[in-house]
Amino acid sequence: MPSLTLHQGKSILDPQELARGFEQLGYITDPALATSIYLAVSLAKPLLLEGHAGLGKTEVAKTLAAMLDTRLIRLQCYEGLDVNSAVYEWNYQKQLLAIKIKERTGLSVEEKEKHIFSHDFLMERPLLQAIQEKEFSPVLLVDEVDRADEAFEAFLLELLSDYQISIPELGTVKAKHAPLVILTSNRSRELGDALKRRCLYHWIEYPSLEKETKIVAARLPGIAAEFERQIVAFVQSVRRLNLAKAPGVAETLDWAQALASLGKNTVDRESIEDTLGCLSKSMEDTAKIKAAGIEKMLTEVG
Amino acid sequence: MTSQEAPGLEQTIVEFCRFARANGIAAGVKESLEAVRAASAVGIENRQNLKFALRAVICSTKADWDIFDEIFDAFWSESAQRANLLSSKRRKNVREQESQQENAELATPVENSLALADAEEGKAVMGATVHERLKKADFSEVKQGDLAELEKISLRLLQQMSLRLSRRIRSLAVRGRVDLRRTIRRSIGSGGDPIDLSFRKRKLQPLKLVIALDVSGSMNPYSIFFVRFAYALQKYFKRVDTFLFSTQLTEITSTLRARQLRDALEALAGHAAGWSGGTKIGQSLHQLTQLRGRRLFSRDTVFMVLSDGWETGDPAVLAEELSAIRRRVRKLIWLNPLLGMADYQPITRGMSAALPYIDVFAPAHNLESLLNLEMHLSRG
Repeated sequence: MPSLTLHQGKSILDPQELARGFEQLGYITDPALATSIYLAVSLAKPLLLEGHAGLGKTEVAKTLAAMLDTRLIRLQCYEGLDVNSAVYEWNYQKQLLAIKIKERTGLSVEEKEKHIFSHDFLMERPLLQAIQEKEFSPVLLVDEVDRADEAFEAFLLELLSDYQISIPELGTVKAKHAPLVILTSNRSRELGDALKRRCLYHWIEYPSLEKETKIVAARLPGIAAEFERQIVAFVQSVRRLNLAKAPGVAETLDWAQALASLGKNTVDRESIEDTLGCLSKSMEDTAKIKAAGIEKMLTEVG
Repeated sequence: MTSQEAPGLEQTIVEFCRFARANGIAAGVKESLEAVRAASAVGIENRQNLKFALRAVICSTKADWDIFDEIFDAFWSESAQRANLLSSKRRKNVREQESQQENAELATPVENSLALADAEEGKAVMGATVHERLKKADFSEVKQGDLAELEKISLRLLQQMSLRLSRRIRSLAVRGRVDLRRTIRRSIGSGGDPIDLSFRKRKLQPLKLVIALDVSGSMNPYSIFFVRFAYALQKYFKRVDTFLFSTQLTEITSTLRARQLRDALEALAGHAAGWSGGTKIGQSLHQLTQLRGRRLFSRDTVFMVLSDGWETGDPAVLAEELSAIRRRVRKLIWLNPLLGMADYQPITRGMSAALPYIDVFAPAHNLESLLNLEMHLSRG
């Protein structure tokens, strides 16, 4: 079993240190999330992050890679994702050319075969890259794993248990350094038990008012504190409306950005109506927000 | 684990894992070991940190996550509350069972699961005749006492059905695109000229299902079972979108998708409160097409309406909407519980307006009729 290899001086002592490191990189965590990420590193276990869209699940992997100063390898899952696009593929065009070139060289069939199935003709996809890093453990982000099908999930499970991939034509590739694996899921389907049990689990909730204000402040430093508070407070009350797609932190940031670039410095009815598209992503939700009364929500925000 | 921590740590953590298990979190031996490692990684000085660490290790679903805090607090605040969560006597029983099971798990996992399956089967056999009767009972006439039982069988049978459907999809492989990798490999012998083409087997994509449920007063008992049906079908279809309608439309797709059957049933109950206004089927379908039609209706969509066809709106609107939808989807299925009655004739204005556009007109008044829908739902 390969082990984690981190940069010298990049080891993380405790969750608090991890939280500080993340904060320096502009990612505000809370103690719970910091602990989970810390454990993923110190126990060298994959971490499964679940939660609604737009709450920074993907950012966790990016920030972790930046903090550890290591490579981030990302595999975006989608329906019909197969081994060819996730693990490796042979470069067919190049192989065809190579066969033509070697045609008159008098090499035996075995030699030709060996030639065209060598590393030069192999196109590495994310999962193979992740176990081939030479110096340090990379961060492997398997994004939206719930979108891939069960067959792929089974393959992933196998990879995560021994960090090796066998390529029939080449033999088995074993990882020198185990990657740090972060999986994210939007729960569009339930993942298999085996995969879930292989991972640490963390459910990302919508942030508290305090945390979200901090996030906005960290991401958009140009905005006045009171304006920031109003923005966040309004978004938080929109979240309570039971919308089909409640706005995530990403939407809060979008909206704050939109208001700022329109030159607003306070949240009022007119500017909300102009920019509602940042918060609501469907006709029904827009109608729901309007029905709840923007004025009324504004008075609650204060 | 040779830790410098207090000697009791390991034992306490393992004890906690058992306690969690007894309270419904599926944490096995492996998780117990991980928990001990996690606890020594974060230390036990800070209760909060310990909680977060154990939570990350022991939980594996949102459901676990939601009950964890309570279990943790109960365990560490000792006796009083702990007794509340689990009466001491029961806890002892459960503990004994658990540790037996744990041992069995370690020794002979297969045998253990076989024994479990046996027990399950035993239960099923005992009630076989009852089950047959309930399968045929009209949903609106099921007695209160039988309801729980019917619910149980229907979930099981519907799940079996959805499993069968997905197997069928898998075996239906069709010759598809050229498999370059194999082709090249085979072409080596002929100097690179691809003489034998290999084909990649194309996997059939599952269908999409859109369900519109009439929840006006007369339909309510049927709709409740149909929500269950929709829920069980989710596994087989690429996506299932579910809408409720009476005089207006509500979408419950996301509630069902998040596997919150109970919430969906509550939404249903809430919606049904406005049933006195009659049923505007045509108008509701219009709303559905307007709002989501572009995304939902395509050649791989099966559209299913559950309604008795008592249209209080204009039947012409209904006919127009159905013909528009019919042009866009693969199959339009109309389920009418009244079809289960011996002397029913589809002559209400709404129903007769709808009939020309319907591919499959079927009853849906009891579990058996729902199970019979299987043949219409496969790709054929």
